[in-house]
Amino acid sequence: MDAPIHHRRRAVGALAITLTTLLALAACTAAAPPSAAPSASPTPLSAAAFPVTLTDDEGAQVTIPVEPRRIVSLTPATTEILFKLGVGERIVAKVEDLALYPPEAGSIPDVAKFGSVDLEKVVALEPDLVIAGGNTFTPPDAVEKLRSLDVPTLVVYAPTVAKVFADIELTGRAVGREQAAADLAAAMRAEFDEVAAATGSVGRPRVFYEIDATGAIWGPADESFLAEMISLAGGDPITTGSPDKFDIPLERLIQADPEVILLGDAAYGVTAEQVAARPGWNVTTAVTTGAIRPIDDIVVTRPGPRLTEGLRALLAALHPDLVPVPAAP
Amino acid sequence: MTSLPADLALRVEPRRRERVRELVRRHPRAAFGTAVAAVVAVSVVAVGLGSVGIAPGETIAIVVRRLVGLDLGVTWTPATEAIVWELRLPRVLTAATVGAGLAVAGATFQGLLRNPLADPYVLGTASGAGLGAAIALVLPVRIVFIEFGLVHALAFVGALASVTVVYRLSRLSPWSGMTNLVLTGYAVGALLAAGLSMAMYLSGSSLRQIFAFILGGFEAASWNRLALAVPLVALGSLAILFRARALNGLLLGEEAAGHLGINVPRERALLLALGSLVTAAAVAVSGLIGFVGLVVPHVVRLTVGPNARAVVPLSAAVGAALLIAADLGARLLGDIPVGVVTAIFGAPFFLMLLRRAQSGYEL
Repeated sequence: MDAPIHHRRRAVGALAITLTTLLALAACTAAAPPSAAPSASPTPLSAAAFPVTLTDDEGAQVTIPVEPRRIVSLTPATTEILFKLGVGERIVAKVEDLALYPPEAGSIPDVAKFGSVDLEKVVALEPDLVIAGGNTFTPPDAVEKLRSLDVPTLVVYAPTVAKVFADIELTGRAVGREQAAADLAAAMRAEFDEVAAATGSVGRPRVFYEIDATGAIWGPADESFLAEMISLAGGDPITTGSPDKFDIPLERLIQADPEVILLGDAAYGVTAEQVAARPGWNVTTAVTTGAIRPIDDIVVTRPGPRLTEGLRALLAALHPDLVPVPAAP
Repeated sequence: MTSLPADLALRVEPRRRERVRELVRRHPRAAFGTAVAAVVAVSVVAVGLGSVGIAPGETIAIVVRRLVGLDLGVTWTPATEAIVWELRLPRVLTAATVGAGLAVAGATFQGLLRNPLADPYVLGTASGAGLGAAIALVLPVRIVFIEFGLVHALAFVGALASVTVVYRLSRLSPWSGMTNLVLTGYAVGALLAAGLSMAMYLSGSSLRQIFAFILGGFEAASWNRLALAVPLVALGSLAILFRARALNGLLLGEEAAGHLGINVPRERALLLALGSLVTAAAVAVSGLIGFVGLVVPHVVRLTVGPNARAVVPLSAAVGAALLIAADLGARLLGDIPVGVVTAIFGAPFFLMLLRRAQSGYEL
């Protein structure tokens, strides 16, 4: 009985040693130069802007050696921005977008979902730029991994309207469309200013923007992107009372007495009749005056070029009398 | 005895199981060798498959070239090499390491506590590690040292700290038996789980990362992380194997173990520490992966009997093979949580095994 045990111990020991050696070897060879391999050399660059080093929204210094021709877009807003800047055909893969825009993006393969990235597929496409989402939209581990494989990876995150414009300009610099991006951002700023001027002298209705109310009631947090958009559109946003919590107690909502309720969840089938029928909601001004309006959640919240459409949609819902021109397409 | 089929089953099944036990007893190296060969086979398949199709020849050529520097005359792109060498191989080896470690720790805790429901997390390790990781994710600091963040460090520390607290608390009581230890572990675990829930409630945008840690997985596997986990898991598991006699003795009860000349308090503390160390290392690199640590030791015992000398190494091999296969399934199904795969395929298999084992299995 003893001899076999002894052997088994040796066998296990041998396995452990083999494993350790294997790892040591792996560590040694990890730094070895990649074997001779045919890699598509990028076309010579036209502008002198590259290589360019940019600071992304998480403070990382990202160097992009040549003008990107093979871009992976890991946020829906980035996909929209790239198409708007005229480089949509350079996107080789994108994040899944349940509210796909623009339609041309439909033919681009998906390599990621909200909160997960298929790194194998991304690496196989040999991208020369990956634009990822901050605030853990793209898993931080995936960003780290891509950078360790020398894939230039820019992380964008826009918690404010000003940051949306800044991200458009950042994206423009990253893909060699600096001027087009600057023009786009300037046009958007002008439109926001125009709306601000129009709403400056009118009353600001108390607005509750309903994100979801199937369980708890979800609305904008204090200082959130949504609250800012509502303010910019001439509304007084009713917020949750916390900078990072998006659920609001019904008591607080009733006490705040919304004059207008916007249904960001209208796309999920929520109607004004349903809201009016909810217990407790009937006392609010918005319900008694019938000021419950559906709104397109995507254009209001997506930090991309259609944000001006979102602003116009909010303006139309809050100040129907003020809308001078139809929203620009 | 009443119906013919049951009678037949009773007579046939134990014999087949006895034959397996006898084979393993007589040829321990062969048995372990077979299990290791299975691990290697599963690994080869797992490195060869993924969401991107890579020709088997290229995969082999890349691994051979990287391991022994031999050029097989096959060409490939740098992207292919990165996928095989930087994404798949570390992931497969991490799954193997974690699977082996959790199975060994599970076997240890089950034997030590003489409790079939014991798993590597039974003494508060899971909640401790989860709370540690959550605190690291909620804190507004980001420290990363060779791919090791605060998350990994605090998960490791949290797991070990919770076991230490449980052990010390259980010794304060006048009756310091195994039941006391298990119940203390349950109470401390519940307290830490409350802390974890609170951290999740307060976490804001870190919630998704905390949730990912609780689900566990190998998406973030890398050579550096693996290199730190492997020595801890390998040395801890070997040390447990060398204490197999004590583990066997403790299975008979503390009094009987004492009569066999085993220093019960010392061996118990040592095995507890080793099992916890292995668990903490596994949890730090992969999050909380369940099922493997509970079920694999039972599967092994159902097949080869309760001798820890066979159960510990075979559990390691079966655990490794199971997690590699489960992770491959998770990857091919679009990176779903690996714990879902282990449970969906493992639970029915385990039930079948339990059904077939008609007699003679008690911890």
